Amino acid sequence: MQFFGVSEISPSPPAPTASGNNGHMMYVFNRNGVCLLYREWNRPLRTLDAQQDHKLMFGLLFSLKSLTAKMDPTSAVEKGNLGMLQLPGQGCSFHSFCTNTYKLSFMESPSGIKIILVTHPRTGDLRESLKYIYNLYVEYVVKNPLYTPGSPIRCELFNTTLDQYVRGIA
Amino acid sequence: MVREVSESCVDSLLTEMVACYCNRFYANKPELAARRIEAIGYQVGHQLSERYTMERPRFTDHLEAIKFICKDFWSELFKKQIDNLKTNHRGTFVLQDNKFRWLARMSIDPSTDNVSPLEDITSPTAESKAAQAMSMHLYFPCGIIRGALSNLGIPCAVSADISNLPACSFVVRIKA
Repeated sequence: MQFFGVSEISPSPPAPTASGNNGHMMYVFNRNGVCLLYREWNRPLRTLDAQQDHKLMFGLLFSLKSLTAKMDPTSAVEKGNLGMLQLPGQGCSFHSFCTNTYKLSFMESPSGIKIILVTHPRTGDLRESLKYIYNLYVEYVVKNPLYTPGSPIRCELFNTTLDQYVRGIA
Repeated sequence: MVREVSESCVDSLLTEMVACYCNRFYANKPELAARRIEAIGYQVGHQLSERYTMERPRFTDHLEAIKFICKDFWSELFKKQIDNLKTNHRGTFVLQDNKFRWLARMSIDPSTDNVSPLEDITSPTAESKAAQAMSMHLYFPCGIIRGALSNLGIPCAVSADISNLPACSFVVRIKA
């Protein structure tokens, strides 16, 4: 799914560099819509406060998931009304969309953990990268004895490993 | 055939055991929780040393038994040997594991937003809470070492030092 803006108003950013640094920001939500992590690497313009931003992002994902499942031409199953709650893995789901200024990549785990990575629009398919980030989450957050499930992620090891990895995404 | 169990399963079990004793059974009595966790470790170490020394001749001295803990015993438990062994030749041994498996994923964020608004990051409460939570996870391995050595006829006291994570030093003081 691609949305194209008008280039005069919002010009495309420069092409991604070989050295990486293409990650703009990342969100991790749990199944209840609680933002467990928000990480930012390159976001010069901020128009919303953090809570509004998280609500908007979760709402966008909820709507897009619902929309893509409703539009699925291959499924013969009764789809219900638009906006109906989709269980993780139920129906078809989108994995990314691209605008002229950014690309949003999305993955959802069977437990309902949602990982959203916003990068440069010319970044390639990040499905494997998101799986790797989810693996980091399991290793450094879920297996951290000091972490309380459902609380915001404040694990230094996870943050540093994540930063290192995202900076390397070309 | 070697019997195996998932590492993740053991990690989660250990985490849950510590959490239960600290937050549920003895929520307001950390010393008692620590004693209980150490006692479980003692039983585990006692049984494991029995199992891992089945084929061995008896140890002639303390150093030999400690070396067994550092090499064979640690390898069975963590798939690696102790990285460094020091002694003062007067009954004190320091066993250092440079990347102790059960601490490898343990981390807290040192930033101020890890602390409640009423709590200053520099205050001893914020620091000590994190330190106490970490140290609670060390009573079990300390108990394992004490239990293993006790079963080999060496009564001792074991403490742990985690001043530079994920390295961990276990100090074994043999009782005269």
